[in-house]
Amino acid sequence: MRPAFFIQPDLYAKMLDELSNLFFTEKLGLDADMNFYRDDLWLSDTAVIESIQLRKGSWEISLLFAHHKIPMKFLTRRISSHSCPNKAKMMAFYMRRLAAKDQRGTLTVDINDLKLSLN
Amino acid sequence: MNQLTTKQKIIESAIRLFNIDGVANVRLQQIADETGISVGNLAYHFKNKEAIVSAAYEHLFDEFSQILSAFLVGPKLMDFDRQLERFHHFFSQNQFYLIDLFEIDRSYPLIMERWHQFVHKMIMQIRKRLDYDINRGVVLPEPITGIYDTLTNNIWMTIVFWVPQQVLKGQPINELLFKQSVWSHISPYFTPKGMGEFEMEIQPTFAS
Repeated sequence: MRPAFFIQPDLYAKMLDELSNLFFTEKLGLDADMNFYRDDLWLSDTAVIESIQLRKGSWEISLLFAHHKIPMKFLTRRISSHSCPNKAKMMAFYMRRLAAKDQRGTLTVDINDLKLSLN
Repeated sequence: MNQLTTKQKIIESAIRLFNIDGVANVRLQQIADETGISVGNLAYHFKNKEAIVSAAYEHLFDEFSQILSAFLVGPKLMDFDRQLERFHHFFSQNQFYLIDLFEIDRSYPLIMERWHQFVHKMIMQIRKRLDYDINRGVVLPEPITGIYDTLTNNIWMTIVFWVPQQVLKGQPINELLFKQSVWSHISPYFTPKGMGEFEMEIQPTFAS
């Protein structure tokens, strides 16, 4: 017979108490608790652009998430850095593909949307 | 398609025979016949009867652990009712646990030790459930100090020994009577809120 997992009676009693308490301490969440999700929802419709820059002797990969309709709404995140530029390029490519909702890259940012003034 | 391995088939046959004849009276030949294999094949899977008894109890303990793990899955009285259904199924399907209680105590001390652990857990669960229902306002606060410990023990005795006492009286064994017996211990201690919940959720199941 395999040895049984044994739990001290006091500990078991405490565990049962905690289980019972769950029904009293756990309350229904508020709608506002999900704001973090709604606030970041725009990120799912972004064009993802990778950028590699030499910084402090290593090639740093950043991903830029830009809304495809409102290009001024964007977010940049540093992801990782590599000592080899080719490796950085390759990693950046895969990370972009991982991060982008649309892996074929049809979500793009048009320069004309920025309405740049060249004056 | 039957997916049971020979080992599982042997254990199930053994449990069936233990229920009928008791652990001490079942021989390896009977288990082999019941399973539909030779004694040699049986010996290949289990070296002796002790190994089969251990495996059969291991199987029971797994099942029992699953019932105990269903403690307070839901917040209402119905949760206990569901656990009672499972207890009834377990104790009515495995009656040899009681027939062979003394034999097990004498010959298989390790198994007996495991039983003791389960019994303590079961009693503790019943007691904690009462505490939980007091906090929830469905059971009255303890009217006399210590009475809920006695009540816990009575509920436990009913759950475990209800099947054999029905056998002794020659009365039918069914889940409805079993559940009614257990609930009859608790119902005098319900608050009006508890009685309402009981009448709304538990009693209709008695009528079906």
